[in-house]
Amino acid sequence: MHRADITKPAFPGSRRYWIMALAMVLFLPPLSFLFQFTGDSNFCGTWCPRMFFVWRKGATMDAYFMGYMRSYMGAILVFGILLTTFFFGRYWCSHLCPIGGTMEMGSRLVPRFLKINYAKIPAPAFRYGYLSVYFGAAALGLGSLCCSYCNFATIPRIFGAPFSGADLAYFLRTAGLINLGLVLLLGIFAKGGRAYCNLLCPIGAMDGLANRAGARWGRRVSVHPAKCNGCGDCVDGCPAWAIDLTDKTARIDALSCMPCGYCETACARGAIGYGKSLLPISAPRGKAVYEKG
Amino acid sequence: MRIRSIITLVLAVLLSLVAAVHRWGDSSHAIGLMSLNGGKARHPSFLESGWDRYAQITTARVLPPYRGDVRVVLEGDPPLDYDIRFSKPVVDLGLRRLPDFRDDILYGIQPGDRLALWVLMRSFPTDPVCGMSVREGDLSHPYQGKIFFFCGDGCLASFRAEPGRYKDKDSPRGKYNLAFYDTRSGKSVLKVPLIFKGKEDSHASGGHH
Repeated sequence: MHRADITKPAFPGSRRYWIMALAMVLFLPPLSFLFQFTGDSNFCGTWCPRMFFVWRKGATMDAYFMGYMRSYMGAILVFGILLTTFFFGRYWCSHLCPIGGTMEMGSRLVPRFLKINYAKIPAPAFRYGYLSVYFGAAALGLGSLCCSYCNFATIPRIFGAPFSGADLAYFLRTAGLINLGLVLLLGIFAKGGRAYCNLLCPIGAMDGLANRAGARWGRRVSVHPAKCNGCGDCVDGCPAWAIDLTDKTARIDALSCMPCGYCETACARGAIGYGKSLLPISAPRGKAVYEKG
Repeated sequence: MRIRSIITLVLAVLLSLVAAVHRWGDSSHAIGLMSLNGGKARHPSFLESGWDRYAQITTARVLPPYRGDVRVVLEGDPPLDYDIRFSKPVVDLGLRRLPDFRDDILYGIQPGDRLALWVLMRSFPTDPVCGMSVREGDLSHPYQGKIFFFCGDGCLASFRAEPGRYKDKDSPRGKYNLAFYDTRSGKSVLKVPLIFKGKEDSHASGGHH
């Protein structure tokens, strides 16, 4: 069966908002349910997913791997995300991440006329410029982006601040206010709610690389070029800004796509679906020929 | 499209570099190990003198065999107005035992515990000439839109003679300690140095994550 004949949405696209809400309850205050198994209350420390893999200038091998030990739950989380993405696509980002989920759900509460559209920004270029500094600045001893501008620290504390003096303290300093501003401007008040994820999340950036690397073998959202009429209905609402029109055919960028299911729902012709990848075996200009991968 | 991507990439690198290199001087982070032999801070915590308020986060792991109750004190001169807040889940589901924090004392610390404390600090006005802590309402003098307070006429006269030399010195400077003392023995189990630096020398500081 041709992949594009599969018309059902990516699993379980239709219930994505319920799954995101559940992830928020499990990860975020007031419950912080998952963190309490390790005696933590947020993503900092044992669960930190942003710092353990960054090499710092002058660090010994022991010190580097001590970071993995210190944040062992964060390491399990990140490697689990990258592995599942390789085979199944970016389900962590689209369905499970409580950080991106909060910003996307929050943006749905904001009136349309107040939302900022960042979709014209070439997201992969910005994202991987940021990621190169994320690794490079620490390795060269110039500084760090790990803690100072951390989405995984900010969002839980927004939820915790009404209840906890420690969480409120996070915002009583310049870096905390800047982080709050970034979450508001690039999340809650962004069209689609995912500008932060698309531009400034290092986990999302690495996840995009895993998504691209596994596109040949794993399951992905893709377009059937023969069915696509180039109407562009899928382009405008894509929260990951992953689709563009090339020669009147929609093209999905694996560096950005997450299987949220928006494009599948938007396409009236059923030209977009999720499944085992279709690989372009030859691609003369405008005439890609596909086979089942 | 390609040119737009290249320009965006360069812009992203430049913006990210500025963000990575610049430190906001009103907050810092320190990591420590709490133990019976006095504990160890991985590095001092640097803050930039001149802000009205400061925030410092200290995370510490408790090394075995230490267990007990610990009083937390911010030590230094001139004294700062401070408030310590302990990070723990809003709703404690009782899945793991956690220390309790009341009246600046951590109760029931056990080996392996990981502690996270936020210290919010506010400086009292300081005589920029002698460094003494002064109160608003004491002898004062306006300079460049700011009111400076003095302990006496001598310091005021020195300031008037060379205001440029003293105008940035009305905030805390030098070394403070966030000190942790075992309540039973009175022994120190951890000291985290907090160092207030002037703007001119605060950029070459550690504690940056």
